[in-house]
Amino acid sequence: MWGKTITSFGVTAIICSTMKRPWLGVLALVVLAATPATGHHSFAAQFDRSKPIKFTGKVTKLEWMNPHIYFYVDVKDEATGKVINYACEGTAPNTLYRNGWRKESLKEGDIVTVEGWRAKDGTNLMNAGSVVLADGKRVFSGSATAP
Amino acid sequence: MLTVLLLTLLQVSTPDFNGFWTNQYTPDLAQAFGKQPPFTPHGAQRWKDVDTKDDPTAVCLPVGPSRAFTAPFPFQLVQTPKLIAFMFEYQTIYRMIYMDGRPHPPDIMEYPEFMGHSIGRWEGDTLVIDTIGINERSWLDTAGHEHSGKLHLTERIRKLDDNRLEYKVTFDDPVFFTEPWSLTRTFTRGKDTDRIMTYSCNENNKDVPHLVGNKKAPEEEKK
Repeated sequence: MWGKTITSFGVTAIICSTMKRPWLGVLALVVLAATPATGHHSFAAQFDRSKPIKFTGKVTKLEWMNPHIYFYVDVKDEATGKVINYACEGTAPNTLYRNGWRKESLKEGDIVTVEGWRAKDGTNLMNAGSVVLADGKRVFSGSATAP
Repeated sequence: MLTVLLLTLLQVSTPDFNGFWTNQYTPDLAQAFGKQPPFTPHGAQRWKDVDTKDDPTAVCLPVGPSRAFTAPFPFQLVQTPKLIAFMFEYQTIYRMIYMDGRPHPPDIMEYPEFMGHSIGRWEGDTLVIDTIGINERSWLDTAGHEHSGKLHLTERIRKLDDNRLEYKVTFDDPVFFTEPWSLTRTFTRGKDTDRIMTYSCNENNKDVPHLVGNKKAPEEEKK
C-alpha cells in the first residue's frame, strides 16, 4: 500500500563487497531496510548505493530535527585503535514520530549496528537504512508499535 | 437570505473533503506515468542535463503545487464554500483554491509564485482546480522533472470512498511537453487524532555541502 510505504520500509537485498576495514565485515549477504523516503532531495545526489557500509559502535549524539534526524556513532578500528565518528542521516522526525519513535528510542551511549550507504563526497557521513540496538531491537524503521 | 440559502444548498450538494490526508509518495513521476513524459526537444535536453543536487527543496524552497501532493508528507484540507485550503506539512506551505468565481490575477505570469495561483470549481462531485503562474524554479518531482513558467496544471479530486480521494493531475506545458499528460494518485485519510507538524527545513539542513549530484541521476530514483 503506497500510503504505508511512505513511512514503513521495504526490504532490499544487497551483497556487500569485501571491505578493507575489519569492523566493516567481509563478503556477506546483508538485508537492509530501503532508503528512508524523505522527499527532501534525491538520494543519489548525496549517497552512493554502490558503497554500502556496516559498522557497530557507540552513539555519541542524536539530533532530532528537520529535515532529517542525525545521529553520531563512534566506531573503533580494533587494529589501529583509531576512532571514527560517523554522522548517520535518518528520515524526517515528523515521520518517525507518527510511527511511534521518540528521541529516547536511541540514546547516547547505546551500542548500535548501523547499515546503510556512504556519502558520495567521501566524508564520514552515511545514510542509515538499518539501526539495530545491542539487544537486537530495530529502531527508526517501520512502526514502533508494530508486532 | 437567498445567498445564504444558496450557499447552504451548495454545501449540502458538494462532497466534504475536509480532513487529514496522506499522499502517495511518488519521487519519479515517469514511474507512475509508465514512461517519460512527451518531451519537446528542449524538455528532453533539460531532462538529460538535470542534476539532482540542484533540487530546490534541498535548499528548503517551496515544493510546488503538484509535487506537494506527491511528497511523502501529509496535508490538512480545510473546505469552505468560497475557499479550499491545502495545508502541507512538507516545507510548511499551503495552497489556496479560490472557489468564489474570481479569475486568475491578470499579471500572475509576470509575478509567478512557487505554488502558483489556483481557482477551483465543482463539476458534480469532482473538485477541478486550475493553476497557472507557477515559478519555473520549482520541480515536478524528486527525480528532477522540470517545467517552464507556462505550466498549466489541471487537478481533479473526487472521493473514492470516505477514506480515499482520487487525485488526477494534468501537466500542460508547451515548452517542456509536446502534449498534456496526466497521472492519477490516491490520498488516504489519516486518523482523527493525526495532526500536521511543523517541517522546519532550515532547522538542521546539513545536506547542502554534501550534495555532490549526478548528472544522469534519475535512474537511481527508479530503484
